[in-house]
Amino acid sequence: MTPGRLLFTLFLIIAVVFFLRRASKLFAALCLGRWENRFDQLKRRFRDMLVYGFAQKRVIQNPFGVVHLALFWGFILLLLANTEFLLQGMFPLFSFAFLGERAYGVIRWLTDVSSALVIVAVAAAVIRRVFFRPTYIKANADAFIILGLIACLMIAYFANHAGEIYLHESHANPWTPISAEIARLYAGFPADFVRFWTDAFWWIHAAALLAFLVYLPYSKHLHVLTAIPNCFFRSFTPVQGVERMVFEEGREFGVSTINQFTWKGLLDFLSCTECGRCQANCPASQTGKLLNPREVIHTGKENLFASMTLLGKRLNLDSLGAMPDASNICEPLVGEPPLGVSEEEIWACTTCGACMSNCPVFIEHIPKLIGMRRHLVMEQARFPEELYLLFENSEQRHNPWGVAPSDRAKWTNGLDVRVLQEGEHAEYIYFVGCAGAMDSRARAITASMTYILNAAGLDWAILGNEERCCGDALRRLGNEYVFERMAIANMGIFERYGVEKIITHCPHCFHTLKNDYAQYGAEFEVIHHTQLIANLVEEKRLPVAQRLNGRTAIHDSCYLGRYNQIYAEPRRILTEISGGAPVEMERRGERSFCCGAGGGRMWMEELEGKRIHSERTQEALRCNPSTIAVSCPYCMTMFEDGLKDEGAQDGVKVRDVAEIVAEALEGNKTEAVEVEPATASVGAYNQSGKAQATA
Amino acid sequence: MERKRPKKPRGVAIYLEGRCTACGARCQAACPTDGIDMTDNGEPIIYAAKCIGCKKCVKACPAGAIEMYFTPDEQAILAEYSREEKSDELDATPSVSPDWSGVWVYIEHREGIAHSVSWELLGEGRKLADALGVELCALILGDAIDVLAFEAGGYGAEKVYLVSDPALKYYRTSAYVHAGVHLIRKYKPEIVLIGATGQGRDLAGAMATDLHTGLTADCTGLAISPSDRLLEQTRPAFGGNIMAAILTERARPQMSTVRPHVMQRPVFEEWRKPILIWEPFNAPENMIAERILEILPIQSDQTVDLASANVIVSGGRGMMAGEHFGMLHELAQLLGGVVGCSRSAVDAGWGTHDRQVGQTGKTVSPKLYIACGISGAIQHLVGMQNSDHIIAINKDPNAPIFSVAQLGLVGDVFEIIPALIERLRQEGPYEDRPLAAVGAE
Repeated sequence: MTPGRLLFTLFLIIAVVFFLRRASKLFAALCLGRWENRFDQLKRRFRDMLVYGFAQKRVIQNPFGVVHLALFWGFILLLLANTEFLLQGMFPLFSFAFLGERAYGVIRWLTDVSSALVIVAVAAAVIRRVFFRPTYIKANADAFIILGLIACLMIAYFANHAGEIYLHESHANPWTPISAEIARLYAGFPADFVRFWTDAFWWIHAAALLAFLVYLPYSKHLHVLTAIPNCFFRSFTPVQGVERMVFEEGREFGVSTINQFTWKGLLDFLSCTECGRCQANCPASQTGKLLNPREVIHTGKENLFASMTLLGKRLNLDSLGAMPDASNICEPLVGEPPLGVSEEEIWACTTCGACMSNCPVFIEHIPKLIGMRRHLVMEQARFPEELYLLFENSEQRHNPWGVAPSDRAKWTNGLDVRVLQEGEHAEYIYFVGCAGAMDSRARAITASMTYILNAAGLDWAILGNEERCCGDALRRLGNEYVFERMAIANMGIFERYGVEKIITHCPHCFHTLKNDYAQYGAEFEVIHHTQLIANLVEEKRLPVAQRLNGRTAIHDSCYLGRYNQIYAEPRRILTEISGGAPVEMERRGERSFCCGAGGGRMWMEELEGKRIHSERTQEALRCNPSTIAVSCPYCMTMFEDGLKDEGAQDGVKVRDVAEIVAEALEGNKTEAVEVEPATASVGAYNQSGKAQATA
Repeated sequence: MERKRPKKPRGVAIYLEGRCTACGARCQAACPTDGIDMTDNGEPIIYAAKCIGCKKCVKACPAGAIEMYFTPDEQAILAEYSREEKSDELDATPSVSPDWSGVWVYIEHREGIAHSVSWELLGEGRKLADALGVELCALILGDAIDVLAFEAGGYGAEKVYLVSDPALKYYRTSAYVHAGVHLIRKYKPEIVLIGATGQGRDLAGAMATDLHTGLTADCTGLAISPSDRLLEQTRPAFGGNIMAAILTERARPQMSTVRPHVMQRPVFEEWRKPILIWEPFNAPENMIAERILEILPIQSDQTVDLASANVIVSGGRGMMAGEHFGMLHELAQLLGGVVGCSRSAVDAGWGTHDRQVGQTGKTVSPKLYIACGISGAIQHLVGMQNSDHIIAINKDPNAPIFSVAQLGLVGDVFEIIPALIERLRQEGPYEDRPLAAVGAE
């Protein structure tokens, strides 16, 4: 064996040992997390891995993602060539030539072309980062080190390979056209010189390749290894929520150290590519709050690495699994940067799901933040003081405002509503929700719904005073214990009446009853009012008498859209009523911008940065609408506040889809007048002007 | 006792032939089990098999044509029940020893400075003690508290029970409970009143538990029932929908807490000198679970004390501009109150967060709340709807604020408020005028 080969073999072994040591350490760290079954539906997982991992469907949703796709596939193709390169380094006679002239030729051609492609992609990436860096991409050395290594690899490949062609050590054409072209550059140089540089570039290539292998698991480019598994183990719910908790003595409630996540939660940390798309879509980050979802994940990763150091030798492949005392050893996760996520960040999240919907590798940010909120609320009793009232009222009165439970059904005064009595049954239960029952503005939505349900002749009833808050805000705010009590009580009521179908006009009730209550054995069907109305309108069961005038801008609620993929229904309704599609805002669908009230933010003050609802209202006003159509009582409140801030409340109205439909129905005029003064804002859509609010 | 008791029979509704006035099938509508049909004459046919004995039809019938029927066996069971209920009633008569006598008020203080609720309670205790013809006493726990004893005397306490010990310098639940319970057991007051403050709530609950007696929290009214000399403790219940009068019949003392500013503070009369009764504190330090490590001052940038204000003049979006809050300040000053605001006024930068009333701001219950240009979103209403008197000024007659206001003025705030200010200026300072008169304007 020549000294060169010996040296290379030695380096290779060292590099592989380093790589494997780090990889095994990381794998052991993953196993610190709690168990969670993500091995179901393997077929679908495999398919999603191909679609999102290999075809990079989400990456290329951003146009520049094509560059990443090119890099990714360039790398995949170069894997073969680099395997050959490493083996040749140890056994110079080895080559894939045994595959046959044609097959080997194709491999060489692909290597040549994809190397060139990668150089172009690297150049594009560098130019973007240097000259056109979007604000959501952090300027750090990591990216340039990796890009530099890649460029170095490719240049070394060409220089080395061209030299070999020039020296007739490798037959070139027609399989390696680009290398052959470069080989001409050597023309006129003495053979010794070319020999030297050909060998030198071989060593540069070798060094870069081995450096890459060692550096990879320490950098953000760890995602090369973890992103594809993370797509494989993705959650199939559009925006993954939190798991049900078990309230037993000796348990830990919530997350304050990384070992309290599940293994998938830890894999998320290792999969982050720091692409910044979560940040670019986050309502908190975009309005100057401290919270940045990317930083949360990055902090988790740093914390994981630091905790690995603290656990030291105990963390190895022999002792895979959870360590009961790890919570005491690991770095605290809730606290100050760089290893902790601050309380200010934790409470700033609106749980809108934009981060998760836009993450190319399916990282789940929100369950992590809610996990930390659970820890703060249930183990530390630390939360913003505004929430004290919310929690107390929810606990004692089963609604956020502390209105007497006996007043919940008061809105029915003067309306034709059946309250379900003991022993009775109705096909549809209309779950009114706290806002719909108590907030005077939202009561107008409820009154409209009443009118629509009656006009369609459905067999429906409400639960009256028995209904309780669904517990949405409590769950998102981490007050899981009170949420659980609420959920169990509501489930008991649903069971007692044999409820089969529930209608809600609030996306938060909708999501909670539909998806969160599934953890409590809910089997009933939950229907959002936009779904119901869309069906009724299509089946011509609602006699639409008049058309809506003016421009209507539509706002997608997070818990309806991103959480439950209901985008088409409200648009179909508005198209039907107004005879034209509604005006779309800049950010819509999966990228819709939160109103700022979700995740319990409705019940908190927003003191930092720009108000989220102002940002969204201004965006809506840029569409120059006369009506902003919403399908959520929270969005309603936030837009109305926003319009007042902008001084636009006289020209632009915020209306729930149900209100717009009710107004367009035949014979509605009499209905609205009968409403008692407390709910008189119903009169706003009364054309006769009798109960019209003086503006 | 272990004998399996037959279930209390509920009976079956029967129709008393000929009494029906054909009122319009009210009984049928009332029946929850669809157990009543109507004849063509409008008379009921009751299906006994469907009847669950709920009596709804009996109550619904305006003519008394339906009654509950019991078989003779059932009647016998009922008779048995009513005998037992009578004997239960006999058990229920108070078996309280007449040794318990006197009205005590707990004087809360921090390092010798009393909380004003204590003096308010002495004023209320005076009325109770006079009604009962017993003495009014104060209970003071602390260290170097002599001055307080004389102050309590000035506010009407005839006797003052004192436990003075360095161990009691700062409030610690177990130490204070120990001392308080010891005194109450020894001197047997029939009534103990405590302020519903953070400290008072903590102490009252713990003492009542140790004493095995009842405690009525947050009373809004206290009176002596003349017939049986019991303390009638009135407090809102069921979300404020009813006022409940609560009696502590079978245990002594009768304990109540009252929130600050609910009762009137009596006049201080320096010449009154109380009798002081000193008791030693005999609990060893190791029996006291709590240790005071450090006393931290309240971290607060709060400049306005909305929660304890008697009068709040609040402005909302309808004030149109921040400079218009000047007239609210003037009005508040004339009424001896402070200025609050709604969230949207804070959003607009017209007020600071510490003045914000509502769900995410302060919850207030002043004697008078004047809402100016506030539409009354539920977020705001929950923060102020428990005020004694609410006056709302808004140009929108449909504003939800009017649903909670006793007095609603539909009109322009910029006309009404200056007129109100003018009138108040003519009438002179606030102190000379009873509040009711202001409310009536």
